[in-house]
Amino acid sequence: MSQAALMEAEQGTSLWADAWVRLKKNKLAVFGMSVVGFFVVVAILTPWLAPYAYEAQDLELGATPPSAAHWLGTDIFGRDLLTRIMYGGRVSLAVGIIATSVALVIGVAWGTVAGYVGGRTDAVMMRIVDALYALPFIIFIILLMVVFGRSMLLLFLAIGAVEWLTMARIVRGQVLTIRSQEFIEAARSMGLSTPHIMLRHVVPNSLGPIIVYATLTVPQVMLLEAFLSFLGLGIQPPQSSWGLLISYGAETMEDYPWLLIFPGLALSITLFALNFMGDGLRDALDPKASKD
Amino acid sequence: MSLLKVSNLTTRFHTRNGVTTAVDDVSFAVERGEILAIVGESGSGKSVTCYSMLGLIPMPPGKIESGSAMFEGRDLLAMSESELRDIRGDEIAMIFQDPMTSLNPFLSIGEQLVEPLIYHRAYSRSEARVRAIELMEECGIVRSAERFDSYPHEFSGGMRQRVMIAMALITEPKLLIADEPTTALDVTIQAQILELVAKLQDSHDLGVIFISHDLAVVKELADRVLVMKQGQVVETNVTQALFSAPQHPYTQELLAAVPKGQKQSNDLTADSILLDVQGLTTTFLDRNSGQRFKAVDDVSFRVQKNEILGLVGESGSGKSTIGRSILKLVEADSGAVIFDQQDLLPLSQRQMVPLRRRMQMIFQDPYASLNPRMTVFDTLAEPLLYHGLATRKNVEGKVLELMDDVGLDRRAIKKYPHEFSGGQRQRIAIGRAIATRPELIIADEPVSALDVTIQKQILDLLVELVKKHNLTMLFVSHDLSVVRALCDRVMVIQHGKLIEFESTEQLWKAPQQQYTRDLLSAIPQID
Repeated sequence: MSQAALMEAEQGTSLWADAWVRLKKNKLAVFGMSVVGFFVVVAILTPWLAPYAYEAQDLELGATPPSAAHWLGTDIFGRDLLTRIMYGGRVSLAVGIIATSVALVIGVAWGTVAGYVGGRTDAVMMRIVDALYALPFIIFIILLMVVFGRSMLLLFLAIGAVEWLTMARIVRGQVLTIRSQEFIEAARSMGLSTPHIMLRHVVPNSLGPIIVYATLTVPQVMLLEAFLSFLGLGIQPPQSSWGLLISYGAETMEDYPWLLIFPGLALSITLFALNFMGDGLRDALDPKASKD
Repeated sequence: MSLLKVSNLTTRFHTRNGVTTAVDDVSFAVERGEILAIVGESGSGKSVTCYSMLGLIPMPPGKIESGSAMFEGRDLLAMSESELRDIRGDEIAMIFQDPMTSLNPFLSIGEQLVEPLIYHRAYSRSEARVRAIELMEECGIVRSAERFDSYPHEFSGGMRQRVMIAMALITEPKLLIADEPTTALDVTIQAQILELVAKLQDSHDLGVIFISHDLAVVKELADRVLVMKQGQVVETNVTQALFSAPQHPYTQELLAAVPKGQKQSNDLTADSILLDVQGLTTTFLDRNSGQRFKAVDDVSFRVQKNEILGLVGESGSGKSTIGRSILKLVEADSGAVIFDQQDLLPLSQRQMVPLRRRMQMIFQDPYASLNPRMTVFDTLAEPLLYHGLATRKNVEGKVLELMDDVGLDRRAIKKYPHEFSGGQRQRIAIGRAIATRPELIIADEPVSALDVTIQKQILDLLVELVKKHNLTMLFVSHDLSVVRALCDRVMVIQHGKLIEFESTEQLWKAPQQQYTRDLLSAIPQID
């Protein structure tokens, strides 16, 4: 088994290696990756980089527009907005990336097995998905919070655990069309084991929609986090996230527009960058897409 | 005046990767009541020529650079889109290769038939219906009045093509363009459709442009032939002269590539049996009726070592299912498949693994049978590594050897399937099949998707590999000429039953069954 696994890992390199070469040639994708990379680095280094402490208030100052001391202005409690966006980015990016990864791993595995094995297994697996779909999300999260207590990690897992459902459906649909193609039959007639076929032949060919959906999931979970936080289930003030900043900013939009604009910009730039990256990755992983 | 006179037509496609000249200075004429065949291999520009003059190519990237197409004195190329639309489907009608995709599945046949009459001819609905039923009758659709309200999926492939022809003729066009109309059909159905086209052409005094890659079909049907290669007309002549004295080397090559002759049977000793199939029965569930039907019905035969055994039948006869049942790609219901003294049918998939190395399959469509995300190296290395026939260290050498074996350029090792032509892709698929040095190869229509010259190359390669590696091959095909040229013995399958099993020589000399005789007589002959 270990030998087979090793072989698989080694064999699997050429598609990804080629994809990497192609990805590097795609300027827009490289730009997207750089932006995302920059945000991630900033998020990690925030405790050292941030100009102020995130809970430092200056009530006398109140809400001020951008100035030399506070580049992006301050909120109604006189807290530095740049600092809050930087700290908020830590939460939002972590939620976005971790929850999407959780959704990706579960969804792809679930959908692939259901779609490829088919028959009764498929029926049972997809009915489970349907049942979970029907479960009210908020009640599910509240239950989790009640049982396990409030924690950041739980929040990530809870969101991921909900988002994978759609992913599983998309992947299953893809796998159904791939399963009926002759190269899968060729792989079976070669005597390859089912896990090997799924890993080497099925999943790589369903990556396109998976990647696109994953890049769409990231903003979705970021906003979901804001929603949960707003309900008091996610992170708590004075901690912050982009989603929370945006929702508070929206309340005071008429008086202090910068409180909405800057967090909004941070979120949209990230989403744009992620989309460029996702599109680039999808093209790079499809040998037919780019002819270099 | 000719019905259609095309002069100096040039069409180019401007793509990111450069400019391709699809049609290069093509001139020809079609007279009333004449069948002009345009033959050529895929990519020769035979379809683009016709689509260009009807304004049916995507523009851009396509662009008609020059030329004229005078249809009854009017230049099609100078017409506006709306003028062209009036001519298309009215004075010039088309029929296509695949009648299923050309018919709207949500509209009844009748609905689709009367539409052009109402649209182009201002018929009332009831008049149109009468005319449509008349024409369906003429096109050989029995009980037309009853079938008027049927939907396309309720017709067989041959019937659908009849419907398409009726639809094409309903406005009494002067010119009919038929683009590979019989390629998707079985040989007996093909014969009927060709007969119908010839009959209608005669009775309606039609000019017909018949696009085909099949020289034998063209020979039976056409008055004149135009041979195209890489967008250019290389030769044009009346049919008889072209076939008896081809002038251009390319035409000669095409004619030489048509499978002919008969394999001289080897002396096979009766005791060298590699595969013994006994009473094989495979059933499938019919979703409509909820009942199981027998795709393979009690088939028994023995395959001798080193022979090429042909398995012929029309589509739906179960010939492919026999091959797949032997390899346990589909589960057989009963019977025995004895390979090397071991019955395969009771084995689990896990127990099959070591045997899979010894029996491999080649598929029909080299575009579908290769994983698009694996390079040639990955594709060929996978079976070697998986079955432990090579190590990481020496696998590259073995892959290169395989590539030599199947005639692939060693430099192509890092390329992906889409970068190859159909023939080369089939070489990759063959390389994958012989990688594990199997004893038995089941080839399921391995050349049906290929052009005739490529087909010949691949068949030659298969014969060479069979000799070189002492292979035994079960060759599944609907093309009897190919089978005759290649196989030692032939089995004829109809409705899942083995109805005749003879040496090739014997089968062609004295077919016993009526069905076999029908099949053999339906093949268009080139000599």
